[in-house]
Amino acid sequence: MVPDGAEAHDDRHVIVAALISYPQAILLGLLQGVSELFPISSLGHSVILPKLLGWDIHQNDKYFLTFLVATHLATAIVLFLFFRRDWMRIFKGLGRSLRDREISDDDPDARLGWLLVVGTIPAGILGLTLEHSLRKIFASPTSAAVFLMLNGLLLYGAELLRRRAPVTDVEDDARIARTVSWRGAFFVGATQAIALIPGFSRSGATMGGGLLVGLSHKDAARFAFLLATPIIGAAALLKLPELFGTTGDGVRGQALVAALCSAATAYLAVKFLMRYFETNTLTPFAIYCFTAGLACTAWFLVS
Amino acid sequence: MRNNRLLAGLAVLAGIVLIVIAIVYWAEPAKSLPSFFPGHQAGSGHHHAKHGIAAFLVGLACLAFAWFRTGPKRTTTAT
Repeated sequence: MVPDGAEAHDDRHVIVAALISYPQAILLGLLQGVSELFPISSLGHSVILPKLLGWDIHQNDKYFLTFLVATHLATAIVLFLFFRRDWMRIFKGLGRSLRDREISDDDPDARLGWLLVVGTIPAGILGLTLEHSLRKIFASPTSAAVFLMLNGLLLYGAELLRRRAPVTDVEDDARIARTVSWRGAFFVGATQAIALIPGFSRSGATMGGGLLVGLSHKDAARFAFLLATPIIGAAALLKLPELFGTTGDGVRGQALVAALCSAATAYLAVKFLMRYFETNTLTPFAIYCFTAGLACTAWFLVS
Repeated sequence: MRNNRLLAGLAVLAGIVLIVIAIVYWAEPAKSLPSFFPGHQAGSGHHHAKHGIAAFLVGLACLAFAWFRTGPKRTTTAT
């Protein structure tokens, strides 16, 4: 899409600027903030939406990946700020446990912190090693639509198979720390890797995994958001130099606008979801993913 | 007790080896990596920084495991 080489270099700014306009950046930013946290696959939507709207934007284009970095970073910052008090307690707990060389059952903050570390390791390793190849193989809108459909089935399956959550503690983090085992945290973390395939949702996979290890909907959502923060933030920080390098030429302004939009919708999304999961389930999202995936698959096949 | 020490020793060893592997990934291009390393490619000047980060994280996890494994045991008294 973007011309390479010295002769194409001069035209690059004009071409790139034409590829993502500011209205497109606003729409993509708004969508990213919501779909990153709702269990409906942000990557899948960012592949499907341009195709549905007839935009000449492709998931594997370098400038588009660089553009997305800014929106991911914004989402990670919003998540961190939303749970900042929890993170402060978790950091202190981690420090205490390292000092005492013990992860005490009586210290839920320390235990939750290490559960998050254990959950982040498989997701980080699989993400670092498989992200590029999986994205390359499954970047077509049709495959994203098919996987979105499967994401719906996965969410519904998690609802059917979930273990009933026992109410053990009044305090959220203490309840999560007591319910999730080390093996459970590793399992929930590893489920995030499925989100490397466009169409599958990271938050959906971790919430589903949380339900399977015995968490309630609210606790599964909370654990999923805490688990998502370091992964989304680290992935964005790793690619941030590209935004300030030559790959970011011509998309920096659009990326900043999209990041602001993404931050606004991410804040509203996390606020909404934390209340929503107090009493509701993943089923509506499963139905949405299945029907939207089915409709898009049919549309892409006939058009 | 002996098993505990053996496990912790192995974790320390694995941690150090993985951190060394991480440094090799960061320092050497793909063509200069040992041929048994994932990512080795003759003639490629690409640095596998992500492979290095992955090895470093697992190395740190091994060292953390050893740190807790060798910590002082606290006994709780039943009341």
